[in-house]
Amino acid sequence: MSASALPPVVAPGETIRSMTDEVSAVPLDDRSWTWWWILLAPSVLLLLGGVAGVGWAFNRGIRVWGNDWPVMWGFPILAYVWWIAIASGGTFISAFFFLVRVEWRTSINRLAESMTLCAAACAGIYPILHLGRPWFFYWLFPYPNTMTLWPQWKSPLLWDFMALLTYVLASVMFWYLGALPDLATMRDRAKHPVAQTLYGFFAMGFRGGAAQWRHLKAAYGTIAALMAPLVVSVHSVVGLDFAGAATPGWHSTEYPPFFVFGALWSGIATVTLLVLGLRSVLGLGGLMTERHVRVLAKLLLVSSLCMSYAYIMDAWEPFYSGDPVEKTQFLHRLASPVYWGMLGLNCLFPLILCWRWVRENHWLLATVCAASIVGMWLERYNIVVLSLERADISSAWGSYTPTIWDWAVFCGTVGLFGTALLLLIRIVPIVSMFEMRELLQKRTERPA
Amino acid sequence: MMVAAFRNQDGLLDALGRLRANGIGPLQTYTPAPLPEAEEAGSPIPLIILIGGVVGALASLGLQTYSSVWAYPLNIGGRPDFAWASFIPTIFENAVLVAILAGFVAFFVLNRMPHLYDPVDEAEAMRRASADRWCLAIRSDDPALLDRARPALSDAVSIEEVAS
Repeated sequence: MSASALPPVVAPGETIRSMTDEVSAVPLDDRSWTWWWILLAPSVLLLLGGVAGVGWAFNRGIRVWGNDWPVMWGFPILAYVWWIAIASGGTFISAFFFLVRVEWRTSINRLAESMTLCAAACAGIYPILHLGRPWFFYWLFPYPNTMTLWPQWKSPLLWDFMALLTYVLASVMFWYLGALPDLATMRDRAKHPVAQTLYGFFAMGFRGGAAQWRHLKAAYGTIAALMAPLVVSVHSVVGLDFAGAATPGWHSTEYPPFFVFGALWSGIATVTLLVLGLRSVLGLGGLMTERHVRVLAKLLLVSSLCMSYAYIMDAWEPFYSGDPVEKTQFLHRLASPVYWGMLGLNCLFPLILCWRWVRENHWLLATVCAASIVGMWLERYNIVVLSLERADISSAWGSYTPTIWDWAVFCGTVGLFGTALLLLIRIVPIVSMFEMRELLQKRTERPA
Repeated sequence: MMVAAFRNQDGLLDALGRLRANGIGPLQTYTPAPLPEAEEAGSPIPLIILIGGVVGALASLGLQTYSSVWAYPLNIGGRPDFAWASFIPTIFENAVLVAILAGFVAFFVLNRMPHLYDPVDEAEAMRRASADRWCLAIRSDDPALLDRARPALSDAVSIEEVAS
């Protein structure tokens, strides 16, 4: 009945040899890296601007930002939530689809996890900067101290600290364990002594011995099984940061799943955008095939529909609750172009993915991904800023305008993301070669 | 020691079977992808991860109970000091962190890694054991034993003898 068979997960001509050559050539070969420098230059410039912005905030205090009563959260928390959502998407693809053993995950999981690391780094610096006195951030740790103070365990903000700490460390360990066999491949193929030494050091003497594989498979699989619920918990706890506060527009049980949907939507969009770009520019079209693009496009459509559901509930609740404050707050959001931009970019525009020809058109698909990333930023603005502008009593109403230093730090994190990701692509194999070998081996066995 | 390289997994597994049948050893394989045996033979790591998780959860519950009941009781909205329900998210996060750390450390300890140099690295074939050659090392210096092994390695692409 299937009128059109699915395109293959791996191009028919790929062998273990050709795959290893293609992937390890990316960091090792003296190929043309013009595109890389063209992207790195603005990333580093943005990063430097961000460093200047952070330096100025350290020097003058965070009054240089637009955060002020009643919008105390402003850009730092907005950007934190936006980044951590993008990061979570990478773990979803890597851990969930590992557990359900889908084949298309294999060639994009390293890329997804690397993207997670870079985005989590951007997210991680914001709460610390936002503390106002960042040099005391270690007060968040429960440790016996001369002040005899302990953290307030009943607060979602502390849960968030614990969740982020676990998530960042766990992501690094998960990524590194998965990269170990590939670092060993790079060690064995590198020609330059410096490269040999560095890859050799980080490969830690992985040689593909029977015991090494046995323990690696066991550790990687079990950790993946923990990463999957962990990533759901992390973004749920971020949702609880809001839901735990008695603020109109936030105080809702919908928030944890709402935020997890947002993480899926913006994270998968970022991975898709990277897959679309890198498969052509790195010549990895035989490994990241049309099949991947189509699967990701369908996932995008599903996660966008989940977002639409969440927005419908979000709009329904103020009127169902009958609380006048909730209604005022919601009408305030309705009056803002941010709200309509959010609906347009996250719900309406992605509906074009219902048509197959759109899912197969890479440029349109990339546009939907970009819309998701911008749309989710607008959603965070809508949640963080617009809700705080309308508190319970009208004397506490206010408005928020970000300053140039807000923008400098935010653009700086975009630069940090770009710089870190470009460096990772240049250094670490961006496709998991050992998992691809297993996949290719299975494929050659099957017809025989 | 003798290092033999094979083009694919089947060649290696055949030779491995023949060597084992003749009682030649100790044998060690170096392969670019896990062998099917790796799936069958167990590893203690999942158990270590479980223990890490349980220890992490109990330690987290203990720390939160101690600090909020004895060390620093704080009235938050009239909730009891031992508000166990609000401890759950932190218990979960801590448990996962300790579990993953335990699995990560256990991987390196069990494999005695970092193990940056091994005599087997002297074999030329090992340069491709992480790419497209399935290698087999007979870790013995007994010339008679190595000679006896040669017939079983007839499918090998290369056979090298290196000092162990």
